[in-house]
Amino acid sequence: MIHFDNVTKVYANQNRPALDHVSVDVDKGEFVFLVGPSGSGKSTFLRLILKEERPNSGAIHVAGKDLARLSNFKVPHLRRRIGCVFQDFRLLPNKNVYENVAFALEVIGKPRRFIRKVVPEVIELVGLEGKAHRMPDELSGGEQQRVAMARAFVNRPMILLADEPTGNIDPATSIGIMKVLDRINRTGTTVVMATHDAAIVDSMRKRVVELEDGKIVRDQSRGVYGQAY
Amino acid sequence: MRANFIFSEVWIGLRRNLTMTIAVVITVAVGMAMLGVGLMINAQVGLMKGYWGDKIEVSVFLCSKGSAIPACNGKAITQAQIKALETHIDGVPGVKEVFFENQATAWQNFQEAYASNKALLTATKVEDMPQSFRIKVDDPNNYQSVIQAIQGQPGVSQVTDQKQLVGPFFEMLDNLAIYATGVAIVLVLAAALLIGNTVRLSAFNRRRETGIMRLVGASNLYIQLPFIMEGVIAGLIGGVLAAVILIVTKVMLFEELGRFFGGATAQLGWDAVAQTITFTMIIGVVICILASFVTLRRYLRV
Repeated sequence: MIHFDNVTKVYANQNRPALDHVSVDVDKGEFVFLVGPSGSGKSTFLRLILKEERPNSGAIHVAGKDLARLSNFKVPHLRRRIGCVFQDFRLLPNKNVYENVAFALEVIGKPRRFIRKVVPEVIELVGLEGKAHRMPDELSGGEQQRVAMARAFVNRPMILLADEPTGNIDPATSIGIMKVLDRINRTGTTVVMATHDAAIVDSMRKRVVELEDGKIVRDQSRGVYGQAY
Repeated sequence: MRANFIFSEVWIGLRRNLTMTIAVVITVAVGMAMLGVGLMINAQVGLMKGYWGDKIEVSVFLCSKGSAIPACNGKAITQAQIKALETHIDGVPGVKEVFFENQATAWQNFQEAYASNKALLTATKVEDMPQSFRIKVDDPNNYQSVIQAIQGQPGVSQVTDQKQLVGPFFEMLDNLAIYATGVAIVLVLAAALLIGNTVRLSAFNRRRETGIMRLVGASNLYIQLPFIMEGVIAGLIGGVLAAVILIVTKVMLFEELGRFFGGATAQLGWDAVAQTITFTMIIGVVICILASFVTLRRYLRV
């Protein structure tokens, strides 16, 4: 599903590579934690999957597509198959829960009938039934993140990328978030989650890929956050 | 493509930077109006030149008794001199037609021309009118040689060419057209920059929305269209205002001009005005699209 082959990424004006000869394979339906200290290259890894950045060398395949050969014109179509969740939720403050989720479908031109059908389903999936008409500022952090997950998942992507989704949320609420991510993963969606949260990684017992200074230092199935901790 | 979604986005964008939008509308309106006026003046000058080209003649005024012109020495022209002068004029190269205007006809024309001025008409007698030869010339632009050949002949008091009268006026109109076009170019530039700024503000105001649109895989067209439409709508409103200005200008200015300098045949028609309006509108909208597009490339990474 995601295939990195010897990928190196050096940002302009920086000597040290953000990713240094990284090779990794993520299969369909896998759940992968991406761990490592700040600046270790986790976000770069996710941005490369979305083709928001281009690697300096190496090849990246996502959903069977060679990103180097993917024309800019087709990048939006790639992104429709990838859902994204962030630490800061990125909801639209002037739209309610339903509208925030529906927005993701409206802007890719889905028919209204389809939107009316699937949005309530996915709102229920993330556990926000009955709150469709709340505004984001009326929701807790955990609930806002559920809206963001609903928006990321509403188009049934093949891959869900989560960049520290529990970063702004207390540990008790985080468990609920992880349950939703697990539920999404069980529908067959590949989930890649970058995180600092050792407790969550340890409790989930999923594959762990650890980055340090842009290099993969550990790739372990059913791993924990780190031996040193 | 969901049109109502795009239009609601456009509406939000226009409302959020209302002052900028108004600035764009005004600049486009004035710029396009100036461009249109320049074009209309050009067309009008062309019309009037054609009209006057046929009409203009060289007038050779003949000495009458007590004439103050030095060339006459206060003596009236003799019949023999008139005959000699006519043969001379016929021989001048470039002369197409000559006819003699006696005092009676001159007086009649004078009466028609100044029909409204009763005092002047009663004070002027037939004997006061000068006799003259009226000459039509082959090439309307070549009066000078004809005038030179006739000037100074015995019994000739004065040679005038009507082109000398209307020439400076045409020249002024030409300059006006150049001036209007120049102002239009500057304003079009200002409009382009303003639109660029408006679009940039819009893009900044809606960076959240566009960021999410990018993320969920909205196509470039879908992301950029609302911004471009904003520019187009501002440009169209400006164009409509410019059209109103042009119509008013046609009625207030060009119809008056036409009345004084050539009558109905030298009147700028509505079809010409419609053409000008269409042309300026297209230019306005195209500039808006271009300005939006160029700015988006810089400020809305897709």
